[in-house]
Amino acid sequence: MSSIFMQAFVRPLSIIYPMAKRWLHRFHGGVFPKTYKSLSLKHPIRSTVIPEKLILPVKQLTGQKIAWHVAIGDTVQKNQCLISAAKENKKGIIVPIHAPTSGVIHAIEMMSLPHPSGLSALSIIIKPDLKDTALNNVLNVSGKVPETPQQLKDILLNAGIVGLGGAGFPTFAKLPNQTGIINTLIINGAECEPFITCDNLLMQTQAQDILNGAIMVAQTLGIPSIICGIEENKPTAIQAMNAAAATLLKNTPNLSITIQTLPAVYPMGGEKQLIKELTGIEVPAKTHAIDSGLLVFNVATFAAIFKAITLGEPLTQRLVTIAGLGLKHSYNTNALIGTPFLTLAKAGEPIHPIQTPLIMGGPMMGFQVADNQVPVIKTTNCILVQPPEPATETIVMPCIRCGECMDACPVNLLPQQMFWHSQAHEFEKVEKLNVFDCIECGCCSYVCPSHIPLVQFYRHAKSEIKHIHAEQQAAELAKQRHEFRLARIEREKQEREARIKAKKAAVKKQASEAEKPSGASSAKSAAIKAAAARAAAKRATQQGSEQNVNEISPPPLSARQKAIETAKKQAAAKVGSKVAPNKDPRTSAKQAAKKAAAMAAAKRRTQTNHENNSDATSKIDSKQAMNDKRKQAMETAKKRAAERKARKAEQEPPK
Amino acid sequence: MSSLTPQSSPLSSPFAHNNQSVRRLMVRVQLAVIPALLVHIYLFGFGIVIQWLLAFATLMVVEFTMLKLRNRPIRPFITDMSAMITATVLVFCIPAGAPWWIIVSGTAFALIFGKHIYGGLGYNPFNPAMLGYAFLLLSFPVQMTQWTAPTEILDYAVSFNNSLHLIFTGSLPQAALEANLTANLDMVSAATPLSQLQTGLTQGQGVTESLTPIALEAQTHYQNGSFINGFFYNTAQFFSLNSWAWVNVAFLIGGLWLLAVRAIRWQYPVGFLGSLTLISFIFYSIDPNTYPPVDFMLLSGGTMLAAFFIITDPITSSTTPKGRFIFACGIGVLVYVIRTWGIFPDGITFAVLLMNIAVPLIDQYTQPRVYGHK
Repeated sequence: MSSIFMQAFVRPLSIIYPMAKRWLHRFHGGVFPKTYKSLSLKHPIRSTVIPEKLILPVKQLTGQKIAWHVAIGDTVQKNQCLISAAKENKKGIIVPIHAPTSGVIHAIEMMSLPHPSGLSALSIIIKPDLKDTALNNVLNVSGKVPETPQQLKDILLNAGIVGLGGAGFPTFAKLPNQTGIINTLIINGAECEPFITCDNLLMQTQAQDILNGAIMVAQTLGIPSIICGIEENKPTAIQAMNAAAATLLKNTPNLSITIQTLPAVYPMGGEKQLIKELTGIEVPAKTHAIDSGLLVFNVATFAAIFKAITLGEPLTQRLVTIAGLGLKHSYNTNALIGTPFLTLAKAGEPIHPIQTPLIMGGPMMGFQVADNQVPVIKTTNCILVQPPEPATETIVMPCIRCGECMDACPVNLLPQQMFWHSQAHEFEKVEKLNVFDCIECGCCSYVCPSHIPLVQFYRHAKSEIKHIHAEQQAAELAKQRHEFRLARIEREKQEREARIKAKKAAVKKQASEAEKPSGASSAKSAAIKAAAARAAAKRATQQGSEQNVNEISPPPLSARQKAIETAKKQAAAKVGSKVAPNKDPRTSAKQAAKKAAAMAAAKRRTQTNHENNSDATSKIDSKQAMNDKRKQAMETAKKRAAERKARKAEQEPPK
Repeated sequence: MSSLTPQSSPLSSPFAHNNQSVRRLMVRVQLAVIPALLVHIYLFGFGIVIQWLLAFATLMVVEFTMLKLRNRPIRPFITDMSAMITATVLVFCIPAGAPWWIIVSGTAFALIFGKHIYGGLGYNPFNPAMLGYAFLLLSFPVQMTQWTAPTEILDYAVSFNNSLHLIFTGSLPQAALEANLTANLDMVSAATPLSQLQTGLTQGQGVTESLTPIALEAQTHYQNGSFINGFFYNTAQFFSLNSWAWVNVAFLIGGLWLLAVRAIRWQYPVGFLGSLTLISFIFYSIDPNTYPPVDFMLLSGGTMLAAFFIITDPITSSTTPKGRFIFACGIGVLVYVIRTWGIFPDGITFAVLLMNIAVPLIDQYTQPRVYGHK
């Protein structure tokens, strides 16, 4: 992307000052590791070998259900759908898995994953029958360019296509729902990692498919221009892509396709670096390329998209580079998804027996697998077989602040300072230095003269910061909940007070009405009350049914009995006055209201008991409430009894 | 919070390295000193070699003891060559004929108090060599200003044996004195142009006046033909360079090579020499009689040594590109200020130490813009 003048200046200068090559690309830093690409480029693509067993890990995500279409013992055909996201998933990013070849489902069990963590996952194990009988057009496509973005997304989802460059993010989920959002479709053919040549060979052999796939996506999404970036160290691929573009451009006059030769620098293939190089746009931090109107896919992804759209073929195999200094013959092959690493590595004739872990991916960003039997997955672009490490390991020296890491960082971070603070566990400072913009490309570690595993420090810092944030969030939530609870208690208190006030007011009114006729001594008011009750009872007996009267009216009593009863009544009144010292209806009403409020509060307290830490207090409270309740019940019962007696006395006038 | 120990955790990416190492970096710096060393031997005699050997012996003992005391692995740290750089820089800073205990105490102080007590390599806030030099300058000002006169003035090349005698006894052997009766042997030491200038200026002389004796003396010896004819004479005449300037030129050559192999960054020499040039040009333009010319400023004292070998120490300087430049500019300005108005003839030591203090602040405010951040 640099001018011819600049190139002419830098080329000779780079002989005495190699880092002058950094001036030829538009993003900051970058490194120039030895590529070793000719190791695997020398040989043609090997034909697919069907291994003894295929291991297909089932990706599982929290809260997302999987629909199983097969069971152990089932016979499956190539391309048959084995699992897919369950329909009830609202926002599923689980893509279906298809059988890479025909065979029998041998087992469904936990198998080691090709993942840095070395974790295991539920996997479908297929024992191939070697017949390789296939279902054609399982996706049921018409072979035409999809009309709407949704149609395209459905096809890509059903085909199980994910980003084959390494991210592995489901392709359909990356696409926009509307047309016209994307201005430029970028085909990533940079392939900057050493050793890896699968994209190079794919471009050499399937240039038409790649470009056709890109054109179909562009047509569906209404993208006016396609740019394909290829590093200059792949002249054959550039030639092939140019030739394919020339023929395809004739059919698509309103689309612009550019094949752009890029300077060979690691990490040119990084999405944001490639975008900067090809378009000059710097994707703002914390946004995605799509927010800047750009869509980037790897060449292999486009080839898979093409096959899915035109042939209805799901993604069941991919081109994989098997390379490394530990192999006699590095090679590329169309490996079936699920082929164990070791099977492929052994086919390259290892120089030493493979005892060290194999590496998935290139030497810069790859990772050692926990078990060499892990399967090829959709994102496996390379299996690296390095010779056993020499016994003398380079010792990690202290950082001398030389700044090589900073000069190499393609994101223009300050790796040295991030390292310094992560070493001191000052994670908030690390975060402030934008550690989350780190793409973990490994340039800093690559150039560090002290051999400090810098990337590892950043990975650790990132996970620690995430952990801290999660804790902070939890604490914040707890705080909010606590504040809400306090607010609620306050609100309830106020409501209660309001209620009490209203009740008080009502009672006051009543009481003042009742008090009007007399100065109200306790006996008098009782007599008035009794008289009122009597009148009411009379009215009731006059109007009410016989039964009612029978029930209420006790058997006739003798004078003596009556005398006893009056004495009892007096005693009851005394007891009552003992319980509630003032028999004034106003006070008793007040008390009743208070009691009711206390009861309500107690009830609520018992309800909110879960949140309350002091169980004991609430228990005591509830006990208190129980007592109150009982007391009240007793009191009301007594009152009722007294009333009844009074009524009886009235009904049968004394002789 | 789990603690991370990268050495013990499983190996992770990247699995490739450019094979650069701290030792290799230090060796390169060491190699870049060789031209200056050769020129120094040629022009000032073998004193520097003896000093260097003394410094080397001291550093081995000090490093070994300190690493042992600090309970650190001896081999990787004693062979990282960083102490060698400190010692070498110090050797070039002190007079070649200084008594042996000067370099020994200076090296020991620089390594112990400049490096090890802060936690060793990578953790020292001050340039160890400059700390050692400051210690010597403040503690032994007399010995530290007994500068060995160059052969061009002395008219006598001090041999290895004579230098040895001088360094360990403080005087030249009797035999040498007798053998060279014609030579001006009552003085093996002389003022450097910088101190000459300062003395001259304080006595109210102008720049040209102050610097005349040196130039005159050299000229006399050239004309006598008793000193080396040919190349040095002619080129020296052509560029009008004195011995001190020649050592500076040698440092410049070594420094340029260091730049090419990325052992040092361009911001240091460019910022330092640039600011020094600018400020001396401004003052020279204002009053050429009070302020020395630009070429004198650039080629006297330890200017080039500082530009390529002292201020470039990455550990004690800023890490950001802008920060390095500011750091270097600051030293350039301070050097001029101290040389012109200070009491010390050469101000590099204190300029470097002062800017070392400012490094955390500079780092804080010169962070580069990260990709995607506005």
